[in-house]
Amino acid sequence: MSAKRLAVLPLFLALACKSPSATEQMDSIISWLGTAGLTGEAWLRHTTPDKYTRQTLELTHDSLIDISSGLFKALPSGIDSASVDSALTRSTQHIGLMAKLVEQKNSPAFRALLDSLQSDEKVVKQFADSIEAKEDQ
Amino acid sequence: MKKILQLTLGIITSVGGFLEIGSVTTAAQAGASFGYQLLWAILLGTICLIFLIEMSGRLSAVSKHTIVDAMRERFGFPFFFFVLIGIVIVAFLVLVAELGGIGFALQILTGVGFPIWALPVSLIVWLMMWKGTFSLIENGASLLGLITISFAIAAWKLNPDWSQVGSGMLPSMPGSDKAKYGFLAVSILGASISPYLMYFYSSGAIEDEWDRSYIGMNRIISTFGMTFGGFLSMAVLIVCALAFRPAGVQVDTFPQAALMMTTIFPKWGFYLFAFSMLFACFGAALEISLAIAYFFAQGFGWNWSEDLEPSKDARFAFVYTIIILIAAIPLILRVDPIKVTMLSMALTSATLPLAIGPFLFLMNDPIYLGKYRNGWISNSVVAIVIIISFVLSIISIPLQIVGG
Repeated sequence: MSAKRLAVLPLFLALACKSPSATEQMDSIISWLGTAGLTGEAWLRHTTPDKYTRQTLELTHDSLIDISSGLFKALPSGIDSASVDSALTRSTQHIGLMAKLVEQKNSPAFRALLDSLQSDEKVVKQFADSIEAKEDQ
Repeated sequence: MKKILQLTLGIITSVGGFLEIGSVTTAAQAGASFGYQLLWAILLGTICLIFLIEMSGRLSAVSKHTIVDAMRERFGFPFFFFVLIGIVIVAFLVLVAELGGIGFALQILTGVGFPIWALPVSLIVWLMMWKGTFSLIENGASLLGLITISFAIAAWKLNPDWSQVGSGMLPSMPGSDKAKYGFLAVSILGASISPYLMYFYSSGAIEDEWDRSYIGMNRIISTFGMTFGGFLSMAVLIVCALAFRPAGVQVDTFPQAALMMTTIFPKWGFYLFAFSMLFACFGAALEISLAIAYFFAQGFGWNWSEDLEPSKDARFAFVYTIIILIAAIPLILRVDPIKVTMLSMALTSATLPLAIGPFLFLMNDPIYLGKYRNGWISNSVVAIVIIISFVLSIISIPLQIVGG
């Protein structure tokens, strides 16, 4: 292997190990929050089986915890993340609770959590827009 | 009368057997992430597939050779063996993805995880291969696959903006996520131009004893069957663009995809999706297993026919038995079928020159096709699409890996 290729190898490996940007992570978070919303609405309309709904909400809950843990390290400097931090923590907890409410078939409580989730989703979306603007600068 | 029936059945089964986990997953991700912007990739892939399927049938009807027979005879065994390794690896990954698709469909219906389903599903696929005939596999599974027409009805009922749909038929660059866009374009092309379909179709033409009188019928089946099939892929993309994109949902997992028709068909949407995937992946798993067994048997000069008793073509039956059982292992080990699907579709695209290049040479060989050999239009269309797909895969696969 030539010296030139050897010099490029670490750069390639470093790029290959690059973690996703804050914008990409926010897109994933919004995707999972949207998934919880669609899953919840479908269950309230009695169009999906209980087991599927519970498992999808559990998957959403776990995925949100995974992504959120890496998000705050990837944020650009000068971003106030307190509001989104609490909205994300609340959403994740609500999704976990919704999975349990499916088992109990408690639609009214499920509806209330879903409404709260939708308002938290707006906060997260606004935050995502501000990060994207910051990264574009 | 018999030929009209064959023609109708041929078109219907081509439509019913068109969608599989690769085409659904890639179209769903494309629609959810980029709206209608990647419709052109499905259009391009479908046009190329129409030409390739027509060529496969023509080669068999005129020369009485399958593609594999002719390839080995024309290029010699060492070259054939090199092609065999590349194609079988990719086809094996697609088989894993299809078995995973069946497992996932059963998971969302029953709540029992797909790894648990891997072995029973593989055994059922194997049993169908062991006991079934070619026409049962070709027609039975594809007729069940007609349930996938529900995607087209859903797209129509969602009433998309048809001018935007029309714009999506022309390639355009996205504002951001260019690596993902390129990777999805490559994966869609790989899902559309699946080489295993050519090997399956040409072997099927020999199984059904086609001769030159079938050339016209072959042209109609490939044109209409693949066109309608392509429409179904586009329908999946349109449904996902309208159902998921406004909510920002990217289709990274199978349970997310299951929600695509729940708004437009509140009562049946979930079950239509689940059964569509179940039957589509089941049909595809049978076809790929058979295509791999054909590839080995024809390449090594063994006895082969799905209509023979397994004792009369033991090595042919042994290949599909082993391949199906090995394909269950990654699923038992919880390898994500969606990731395997995306990888296998991108690899399919990258290996298209290997799979299609020698075939194009054969299609221009007067020894095999005489006056029925390819014209410049079919040669140009296929060559251009293969080059585009190969170049895109060389650029976008590393970029997508780097981008995580």
